[in-house]
Amino acid sequence: MKEFITDIVKYLKLSDASVREGLNHELYVNLAGYEFRNTMELLSKEFSLIAVFCVQNFNGHDGFTLFYAFEQKGRYEVVVFQRPLSSFQATSVADLFPSASWYEREINDGFGIEFTDAFDKRRLFLHEVYPPDFHPLLKAFRNHPIETRKDIMPEQEYRFNEFAGEGVYQIPVGPVHAGIIEPGHFRFSVIGETIFNLEIRMFYKHRGVEKLAEGKTPLECVPVAESISGDETAANATAFCVAVEKISGIDVPPRAWQLRTVFLELERIYSHLGDMAGMITDVAYPVGASNFYILREEILRQNSAITGSRFLKNIVAIGGLKHDVAIGALVGLLKYLKTFPASLKDALDLAYRSPWVIDRLETTGIIEKRLIDPLHITGPAARASGVDTDTRIDHPYGIYSHLPLQKHVLEKGDVMCRFAVKAAEIMDSVQIINDLLIEGIKQGEVFASTRVRDGYALGVVESPRGQTMHWVYIKNGLIDRYKVRTASYCNWRAIEHAIQGNIVPDFPLINKSLNLSYAGTDL
Amino acid sequence: MFKQFEKIFQPKLSEVYKDVDFEKLGVRLHHSISTVFGRSLAVRELDSGSDNATEIELVNLTTPYYDIERFGVTFVASPRHADVLIITGAVTHNMEIAVRKTYEAIPYPKLVVAVGDDACDGGIWKNTYAVNGGADRVIPVDIKIPGNPPAPHEIMLGLLALMEYIKKKKKS
Repeated sequence: MKEFITDIVKYLKLSDASVREGLNHELYVNLAGYEFRNTMELLSKEFSLIAVFCVQNFNGHDGFTLFYAFEQKGRYEVVVFQRPLSSFQATSVADLFPSASWYEREINDGFGIEFTDAFDKRRLFLHEVYPPDFHPLLKAFRNHPIETRKDIMPEQEYRFNEFAGEGVYQIPVGPVHAGIIEPGHFRFSVIGETIFNLEIRMFYKHRGVEKLAEGKTPLECVPVAESISGDETAANATAFCVAVEKISGIDVPPRAWQLRTVFLELERIYSHLGDMAGMITDVAYPVGASNFYILREEILRQNSAITGSRFLKNIVAIGGLKHDVAIGALVGLLKYLKTFPASLKDALDLAYRSPWVIDRLETTGIIEKRLIDPLHITGPAARASGVDTDTRIDHPYGIYSHLPLQKHVLEKGDVMCRFAVKAAEIMDSVQIINDLLIEGIKQGEVFASTRVRDGYALGVVESPRGQTMHWVYIKNGLIDRYKVRTASYCNWRAIEHAIQGNIVPDFPLINKSLNLSYAGTDL
Repeated sequence: MFKQFEKIFQPKLSEVYKDVDFEKLGVRLHHSISTVFGRSLAVRELDSGSDNATEIELVNLTTPYYDIERFGVTFVASPRHADVLIITGAVTHNMEIAVRKTYEAIPYPKLVVAVGDDACDGGIWKNTYAVNGGADRVIPVDIKIPGNPPAPHEIMLGLLALMEYIKKKKKS
């Protein structure tokens, strides 16, 4: 940590006094207005932007503070730059960090802060139905049902980027899709059958997660974290709990962390299985897909036997777990996992031996390596494009630093690579759970008594889709600000690039190969 | 290639993964769909702001362990083909227009089933700025299937209750 502080101070030419240590391997750096632009320019060379968020009345500063969280390859610590604002105006960094554009639009919606030189100032999560001067994250707004706009004039409608030229036409798709899928709008600009541009409009499922958390006790907030995204329940709950535990100095018992690890890896297994089933379905091979669906259902049943919930809800708690797990259920899981690898291999063989499957997966939807850092693309999507990133290894939490983990990295970045990376990761997760269960889960408590303290900290966890980030600020025992940024939020931007030059019928396949959560993006 | 043929001549997966209780439930549902709807029930699913767990369970109903199509239930791509709308989520403001339009696109007579706690009464999102709070605030709802999310057999039970509801409605 000390060494990193020295490096940072030297690299960015800051004063020692402006840097302080956070509670969960973070560095907080105060940035004055005149240093801001220079620092950001320097950062854009070697650092990747994890998230940008805004907090009102932070630590006695009356007004807004912007937070810019960064990571650097090979560093455990996350660096968070703090920029206090004196008005409702700020400068944009979207020209340096393309991913910042969504964050800035989000802050504009939430707080009414204008990024004066931003190239895109459209609203993001507040669609047309919200009144013009409505900013839900302001402290002055108390959460209650609001009147929405009923008569929306055509000129008030959202403006998609327009692409014109000979033979270019638009295909609008969604928000309601032809299947059991979450809502979102895709605007394709197409020439013939080839996609020239895709603009994705999300946030149809905006439920107000962050505002809902405000004013709740951290304990009451765990179900909120769990409902961010249905199939990333354990990851989001764990990330939230880690942040609160670090703030409060709670030591989670080893047994609880071992069991949490079992849940997190089970979640990865069933989530990846669903993705793979989806990919095979979308190349019109339902027989091949059914094997993956069967395995997923079996894992969901194991989840239920262990925790009482097929989606691992209501088990992770601040300080450990809500209740212990029956030994019989763990023995059952171990027994089941013995048969699992052979079944998975059968399922994979069926897919890999089918030339028409391979033909559709290979060279489709390539995410180029050069996009990974600027867009902060994360998880299996990044690993399939040749970048060795994994939060479990880069920013280990719980017992992950003691586990023999490996990163599965492939170079080509197409759908096939994502399929293969996910297959390999399922096998790893099975191995991790096996090892934990065979070595024996430690006896003892699964819950450390909790007295929540005030403060703030960051929790980062590798969810099945990649890095999920939760920043929690507790004031007077209540949540004052809860910022969530799931892996899906970052990776949606990857699809807009991966799709270019592909044909329209390959869109569902490319979409499924990342299988992003709409709910986890829209919050 | 050989493997493909093996697969074809194997017993049906739904035979291999038979669950006796679920099977009984399915046969009952099939019987009641046959009496109320002729032979099949076409369902259109609409997500108005759920956390996606309910969607996963609905998809599961179509996979080999359950294979609900055997019992006459099909999930259709267009609301125009639907008898029943299954709605999940607390109806966010951003989805409200799409929900109304989807409902309007279903031909009469139409029925609506709210699946999951959020769709039933708003769940944890109740009384917040971003949602209407419960599907029945926006469109008429006939049957509610609570749960976070309800398990596949609970959804089946709900559909069975829907058939009974229609029978009663017909009589009165």
